[in-house]
Amino acid sequence: MPTKRYTGEDVVTAARRRIGFVFDHFEQVIVSVSGGKDSTALVHLALTEARARGRRVGVFFLDEEVMYQSTVEQVERIMGDAAAKRMWLQIPFHLTNATSTTEGQLRCWEPSQRKIWMRPKGPKNMKHKPWDESAERFRSGYKWLDFYGVIENFERCFENTAFLVGLRAAGESPNRWRAVTKNPVPIGGKNVYWATRKGSNVAMYPIYDWDFHDVWKYIHDHEVPYSRIYDMQFRKGYAMSEMRVSSLIHERAFKSICDLPEFEPRTYQRLLRRVKGIALAQETGKSAKLFACRKLPKNFKSWIAYRDFLLKTHPDRERLPIFKKRFARHLENEYVARQQCRQLLLNDYENNLPIDNTEDPREALVRYYDEVL
Amino acid sequence: MIRLGFNDREKAQAVSAYCAKHSIEKVFLIAPPRFMDVPMDVDVERLELSSIIEYRIFYRMMQEVGPGTLVIVNECLRKQYRSDLAYNCIRNFLLQTEHQIIFQHLPIVDSLDDFMILVDFDTRSRWRLHRWEPGFRGELDLVVKEVPLVFSEHRVEASPKDHERYSKEKRKLIDGIGLRDPHIIPRNLGLFTGTVKARHIDQGAHYVARNGRLRLPNLQTYRDTSFPHEYDVFEFCHNFVDFAEFVALTQQSRFRVMTTDLKVDRWYFDRYAAWAERLAGAYEALHG
Repeated sequence: MPTKRYTGEDVVTAARRRIGFVFDHFEQVIVSVSGGKDSTALVHLALTEARARGRRVGVFFLDEEVMYQSTVEQVERIMGDAAAKRMWLQIPFHLTNATSTTEGQLRCWEPSQRKIWMRPKGPKNMKHKPWDESAERFRSGYKWLDFYGVIENFERCFENTAFLVGLRAAGESPNRWRAVTKNPVPIGGKNVYWATRKGSNVAMYPIYDWDFHDVWKYIHDHEVPYSRIYDMQFRKGYAMSEMRVSSLIHERAFKSICDLPEFEPRTYQRLLRRVKGIALAQETGKSAKLFACRKLPKNFKSWIAYRDFLLKTHPDRERLPIFKKRFARHLENEYVARQQCRQLLLNDYENNLPIDNTEDPREALVRYYDEVL
Repeated sequence: MIRLGFNDREKAQAVSAYCAKHSIEKVFLIAPPRFMDVPMDVDVERLELSSIIEYRIFYRMMQEVGPGTLVIVNECLRKQYRSDLAYNCIRNFLLQTEHQIIFQHLPIVDSLDDFMILVDFDTRSRWRLHRWEPGFRGELDLVVKEVPLVFSEHRVEASPKDHERYSKEKRKLIDGIGLRDPHIIPRNLGLFTGTVKARHIDQGAHYVARNGRLRLPNLQTYRDTSFPHEYDVFEFCHNFVDFAEFVALTQQSRFRVMTTDLKVDRWYFDRYAAWAERLAGAYEALHG
């Protein structure tokens, strides 16, 4: 198992060296971007290297439609670089909608909804699936094309290609770090620990050892243009983990809808027309009794009773068995039940907000007080 | 600059001296309600700490705070969460000026890490992700007037019947805890022992208690705005920050604490004695 140690090399130099290595060993290099700070830094590094070598680099962006306008503008800026090969994909696929239980999935770029799309598709973008539909595959357990399903199908369109991803694994998530480093890929006689194999292609993470501040320092030092939404979120006092630019209706991001009318009033106006549940999410996204699920509604005596009620009345009968099956493996206590309520309220059948299945910490505190008082 | 343990007069003098030395065009003072009225010899616009996060104040401050602005942050260490929204907002204005004075009576709420919140204010968040290191001492304009807290016990006896009632009360609280916050167990038992201690109140002394339930003229609560006498502690408050504010308002450092032989009083007394030790440790660390 690889361990972390200081090498004396700074992370920017290391990332440049890694990107040079990628260009040395792959003819085709594609960078996945989201418009966020990490991919902004990564694509800047890759484009700099490509220009120095007189090459071009594919810039892949999977457009989720329900996004900040600032993100769209940021991606447009990146794609405008002469060394960037535009791969902006705008096709229908399913997104989790955490703001509504009756419309738990949004099919972005749905042709029948063209009139209320957040914005028209760009003339230079890819508006159709670049893969053969008869060979299209869904992810295991899914009956439809979701975000990661699209990425997998897209990647299969290429061979012997390096996909650069701005994933960071330093400090924030030991699990992510293990996932990145556990299966090294042999390339050019070397075991590459910052890569994972994906069929005939390789996903590579040149900035995997950067932390939050390394990214911002790089952006500052190199005067890289970035999404202006970060400035608004910073001024508003968002915690680092809350500063996100991705889909506005995702389980982890929907809280940003609360501030959307202030940040981007036009985007909010369009989102109201496009997606169900937005007005409720805007008003109650941070409410302790609703989506934040911190306070028990007063007509329930326990989180367990509330959870049972939510299970009984959950409007999405198709996904109900997923929740029931998952909850059957959990401990039966108030601490776990509160988290289960949150998953139900957010319709998080994909388990993106995993449940901490442990003993209720309140019980330990009560035992302590019983002993000492 | 950071000034610890200053009284109102010393704070006013420090501000006047600072303004005389630098070309200050405007002075803002940010403080919790009970520390807003600290008298100053210069013109000061006073802002309540809780209003800082409101748009009408925050965006105005972002526009108005400039290189000629002095921001006084007075007794604002109220939460231990370093990324608290109010702290974030204050640090944002402070990025726009080099003139700030941080006044705080005690340097911590609970641990030395809390002091870094004041350091963040004073250093434009330079050491935002770091814990205290002795090396920071040389970088800070820090004056420390120590407030060594000393607690002594004034022991009163509870009767066997009180002990019996206490046990019953404790059992009732634990069995009926349900979804309520477990901290209500020591809190409510503390209130229970108050009924025992009330019998031993000295009419000539002044006391501070958690609330005014006993309706006695010589008993004030931690939430009062002024404390003109010297006070004994009738009962401790559960949160250290409330006691720290009481210490700042009274400028008192030695406290006689009324306790019974019921276990919750011992628990609270030991908890505060340990807190006073952590405070002493913090002073030691700051002196380097």
